Amino acid sequence: MIYRRAGISFTRYQDERQLWKLPTDRWAVIVIFALLLVAPFLVDRLFVVGYLLPLIIWSMAAMGLNLLMGGAGQIHLGYGAVIGIGAYASVHAMRAGLPFELAMIVGGLASAVIGVVFGAAALRVKGLYLAMATLAMQYIVDFVIVQVPAISGGTQAALSVPRTSFLGIAIQGDRAPYYVALALCAVLTLFMLNVRRTSFGRALAAVREKDYAASIIGVDPFRYKLLAFWVSSFIGGMTGAVLAVCYYRTISPDQFHLDLSIQLVAMVIVGGLGSVLGGFLGVGLILFAPIVLNQLIGLAADQFGVAIPTDLRAHLPLMLYGGLIMGFLLLEPLGLAKIYSNIRNYLLVWPFRHARQ
Amino acid sequence: MAGTNFQTAGPVTTAAAASAGARPVILRCTGIERSFGGLKALKGVDVEVHEGEIFGLVGPNGSGKTTMVNVMTGFYPPNAGRVELFGRDITGTAPHRVAKQGVARTFQNLALFKGMSVLDNILVGRHTHMHPSSLATLFYWVWAQREELAHRRVVEEIIDFMQLQDIRDEPVDVIPMGLQKRVELARALVAEPRFLILDEPMAGMNQEEKEYIARFILDARDERGVTILLIEHHMDVVTALCDRVAVLSYGEVIAEGEPHATIADPAVVTAYLGARAAARHAGIAVQQQAGQHTGAGA
Repeated sequence: MIYRRAGISFTRYQDERQLWKLPTDRWAVIVIFALLLVAPFLVDRLFVVGYLLPLIIWSMAAMGLNLLMGGAGQIHLGYGAVIGIGAYASVHAMRAGLPFELAMIVGGLASAVIGVVFGAAALRVKGLYLAMATLAMQYIVDFVIVQVPAISGGTQAALSVPRTSFLGIAIQGDRAPYYVALALCAVLTLFMLNVRRTSFGRALAAVREKDYAASIIGVDPFRYKLLAFWVSSFIGGMTGAVLAVCYYRTISPDQFHLDLSIQLVAMVIVGGLGSVLGGFLGVGLILFAPIVLNQLIGLAADQFGVAIPTDLRAHLPLMLYGGLIMGFLLLEPLGLAKIYSNIRNYLLVWPFRHARQ
Repeated sequence: MAGTNFQTAGPVTTAAAASAGARPVILRCTGIERSFGGLKALKGVDVEVHEGEIFGLVGPNGSGKTTMVNVMTGFYPPNAGRVELFGRDITGTAPHRVAKQGVARTFQNLALFKGMSVLDNILVGRHTHMHPSSLATLFYWVWAQREELAHRRVVEEIIDFMQLQDIRDEPVDVIPMGLQKRVELARALVAEPRFLILDEPMAGMNQEEKEYIARFILDARDERGVTILLIEHHMDVVTALCDRVAVLSYGEVIAEGEPHATIADPAVVTAYLGARAAARHAGIAVQQQAGQHTGAGA
């Protein structure tokens, strides 16, 4: 009912392969994008800087990781390091005088090259062993960043990002960084959506599902796994540059540690492997659930006058947060994106029940 | 040669095999040997497949048929021997390179890509004809769309040919197995191979589904000019479809030639049924031949 499909038929392959087939979906995308565009003028600046901007930037990171994990089926536990390499490379490039547009590419390339070097070694093993190998990458990169003063400026040092601009717009204040990140995120989202309908994405999916069957079709499994590492690391590096310039503005080694990698993996899995929408949903849940839960518990405690001990008050949101993640995954192992699609499928034919899955 | 308790007969040569010999050889395997640890799966196998024929590779379970196919397609490099495809040496070439030479195959156990639709599964089959790239993906509307749509038309032709129209958009893991086998055949055919290897395309099928696949195999050869190597256990299918067959047993070719004669070869019957049953069968065969002269072709 809400998503009407009746009377919509396609007479050209082009129409049948478009990104959003139903007018409802197209309108939803337009409305959400328009809302994001006008958000800085509608809501408090704290909301934009504190919630929307991180959501956008971490979604970029989650999409990059999702290309590798959901697209090509290769786990990566060192994605935080990949982002770190991109951040440091681009900041150093900018300090050397390169404009942000180029520095971003430099960051992406640096991540991609290092990511592929590790990937080539790591891809000789599969599954859990690949997880261990990428974990090693995380630790090695962490170590190098901290121990080489030329990169980090020393253990305790923080590297400040010079003033810069993107396509002529100075990245300063609250709104400019937000729009820069939004624009780049939009481009990346379109890329990720296109992956699913091109031969590139199908080859990755073939390698993910059955690499021997892929190889007799002409897909070189090793090459495509490596390519997935390359593209995914490039996206990670670019995200690192955006993160440094638009959000952190001062970078230090501890921002790119293992906990970031784990959090990104959690975002991808909770959101839904291989789903673009799932990336956004997963990031939203992982970022905001602790905050929202914290405030809800505070509110409830005040409202009902329950005296919760302070340490329980601090830990309860985290416990609920863990429970929430497990609950969602038990409810639907394919993540939030699958939950959304179930609801959508139900509504497609509501009030009738026979939905095509 | 170890442990063979049957008399190895020379290859059965018939008129059909002789006429096939006039056609150019597409695949020539000579002296293929392959062992897994102490198990010698192939002991010097020679196989020749001629252009435009349907060549049957049969034999009891564990006789090395699938291993042979894996050697041809580059999954297992042979320990000794030589594989020539279209006159070029491809011994030990990786599968994805073999695929680019115009070879396609299906697998004994289905090897479809789960989580993708039937349409996408068949589209992957066009891989060797397309130019996948991440940049083209980013600039889809400028770089990729035209190619995608052109190949979609080719895929739709195959979908029509294989009669898969009504399941085009279904996820491939929810359709019945007979149809899955058909999708896999479609995925192989859409690559426009010159040489197609079918590893038990009819395993686990009922009579009706078998007849469908048999028709598709014949059509693929007649309409699309594909040379086919067929591994199959259903002897009725083998004798009806194949121009020539080779019988493997314990990693050796024990008979080769026109299907009816080859299947009836005493060495083949022994390999399938054992020596005693073979002796009985020989008696029956003699009686039958005395009774009817006209070949009971399918």
